[in-house]
Amino acid sequence: MSTGRILVIDDDPQIRRTMRATLTTRGYEVNDGRTGEEGIEKLRSGPYDLVLLDLNMPGIGGIETCRMIRSVSEVAIIVLTVSNTEKDKVEALDAGADDYITKPFSTPELLARIRATLRRLPQPPDQAELSKLASHGVEIDLASREITVRGRTSHLTAKEFDLLSYLLARPNKTIAHRELLQAIWGPDYGDELEYLRVFMNRLRKKIEPNPSKPQFLLTDAWAGYRFQIPKKASDTRS
Amino acid sequence: MASAPNLRVSGVLAKGAFRITGRILLALAFVAATTFVFSRLIPVNSTTVGFLYLVVVLAIATAGGLVESTIASVAAMLCFNFFFFPPVGTFTIADPRNWVALFAFLATSLTASQLSARAKRRTNEAVERQHELERLYALSRALLLTDPTRPIANQIVQNIARAFEFSAVALYDRANNEIYRAADGDVSAIEAKLKEAALRSSSFRDESSGFIVTPVRLGGQPIGSLAIRTVSLSDAALQSLLNLVAIGLERALAQETVNRAEVARRSEELKSTLLDAVAHEFKTPLTSLKAVTTELLSDPVYELPQHQRELVSIADEGADRLSKLVTEAIQLARIEGGGFRLNRGMHLPSALVSAALRQMKSFLEGRQIKVSVPMDLPPVWVDAELIQMVITHLLDNALKYSPAGNPILIDARSDDARVSICVTDQGPGIAEVEQPRIFEKFYRGKVEPHLKGSGMGLSIAREIVRAHGEEISVTSRVGEGSRFCFSMPIAQGSGSE
Repeated sequence: MSTGRILVIDDDPQIRRTMRATLTTRGYEVNDGRTGEEGIEKLRSGPYDLVLLDLNMPGIGGIETCRMIRSVSEVAIIVLTVSNTEKDKVEALDAGADDYITKPFSTPELLARIRATLRRLPQPPDQAELSKLASHGVEIDLASREITVRGRTSHLTAKEFDLLSYLLARPNKTIAHRELLQAIWGPDYGDELEYLRVFMNRLRKKIEPNPSKPQFLLTDAWAGYRFQIPKKASDTRS
Repeated sequence: MASAPNLRVSGVLAKGAFRITGRILLALAFVAATTFVFSRLIPVNSTTVGFLYLVVVLAIATAGGLVESTIASVAAMLCFNFFFFPPVGTFTIADPRNWVALFAFLATSLTASQLSARAKRRTNEAVERQHELERLYALSRALLLTDPTRPIANQIVQNIARAFEFSAVALYDRANNEIYRAADGDVSAIEAKLKEAALRSSSFRDESSGFIVTPVRLGGQPIGSLAIRTVSLSDAALQSLLNLVAIGLERALAQETVNRAEVARRSEELKSTLLDAVAHEFKTPLTSLKAVTTELLSDPVYELPQHQRELVSIADEGADRLSKLVTEAIQLARIEGGGFRLNRGMHLPSALVSAALRQMKSFLEGRQIKVSVPMDLPPVWVDAELIQMVITHLLDNALKYSPAGNPILIDARSDDARVSICVTDQGPGIAEVEQPRIFEKFYRGKVEPHLKGSGMGLSIAREIVRAHGEEISVTSRVGEGSRFCFSMPIAQGSGSE
């Protein structure tokens, strides 16, 4: 039985061979593409759970491929790259990647990242909890990963959705960076503040009326993030 | 050599003297002609003759200068007296009223000469000013249109010579200690004067060669000097000319700075692209190698026999080492190139340390690390990635040079302006003579020469700390261990946030 379908997009044949050999023995179904264009074509022809995407490729290149995949699909994306600088990490995450791994990596590390990326929230938010939010103009459809804020509907990727619902389940409360990272990505995470920064920006773009002046997803400097239910909607009586 | 300009100057003077003599003779001829016509051909009374003389003197004053009109006035007065006042033919005057008339005539004609000459001088001056203005305008236009690919100072001199038609121009640029010349290029005689003028910020007039040497100032500072050989140039025009030159030189300097920065930026870009390509080319094969070795070592289904496991471990460690060397070589090249920019931000020291520890996680297994970094230390103003790199290199160094059983301590403390982070090991320590050298590139301790390492880590750490304007230091005692400390500036205004 397949534990997931993975598409490897890398121009280096050795890496494609290694990935195929390693991931297949772990029960993943693996397909590969040599360029961004070929990868996008393969994604069209069948459903995948995850894409392993090399950044440095001839043709349209990794970042552009990532952006193009993200514009049409919510498939999980892990970016493979030789650069470990924060700028490059943020660029990849901004383009829509869910995680980032630096070459050369060890197989256990890669497998852990794949598991973390495919991992879903152990406990999705309580439906009763969510229905409370509806009265504040925030509606969430767990099945289709759609969120409607004041009449505006957005489709979220799995990680975006998990992050948002984790915050939503604890409204008006600051959640520490480490707690968020470990809850959404897994116990091996905790210091990747840039992940949170990028994902919060992505979420704000989807749900905030004015992303540069957020009113729902607030940053508490040095501490963490919080989902604020606006006062006006809740203060109907007092 | 110096006599050539001398001859030329006296030539000019001789020509001027010749011209004025001619004009005086001409003026006298007019007076004589008038006298002849009205005393011999058309007899008129003395009053009318007086007016006619006045008209002639006025005409001479208008056409010529003060000298010839004054001489003409006196000559006319004498002729008037001699030919027209009775007794005619002598300089004596019978009727005292005629004395009055004669002196009234002289006063009138002299005054008229003066006035006319003054008016003429004014007109000439105005025309000259206008010429100067036109030339200054032409020069400023030419200076704006200078070709930035050729030396600008040289073009400035050429343009001055062309616009003002000076017989010689020389410009001394203090910035590069060079003299640029145009027109009559021989300025060797005044080279020393040029430099002196720029140095002392004072003007000279070299009488023997006819050069005016003046400093070129910008914002009160002399930035060079200009020598011109000219017959006449008003002070105002000279001042404007100097200002234009100053602006032109300044522009040349700015242009050069821009050019230099552009060249540096391009070479930095090229270097960065090359390094990225190298990094990619080395790390791609390492990636499959590393993936294979780690897979063999971690495969839960087929566990390797002991002997093969050992062999694969060796390959795996080799891949790690190679990868680390490539990374460090690229880091060092990038940092040493000076092309990296600090991406400073406010960061908590405790967060920097824990991020570094996380990066080192796989190397820290089985080691005892004591971290004593208070959470309430103020945030520091640093490039977080680079400072994490410093911490990882110090940790890496401590791990390498101390036995596995001995703990490593990371602690931090702050004073008014900075936070210091220290990494302390209980290794063999570093001899005092070696201590100043350990931050040098490729230097490795003598105690354990078999240890693997590139000798680049501490050098990278020092370069990063220095780029922040801070210090890194070591205190060590042989047999007890080493303590590496580096400082970071506390973020300004962090207290209010």
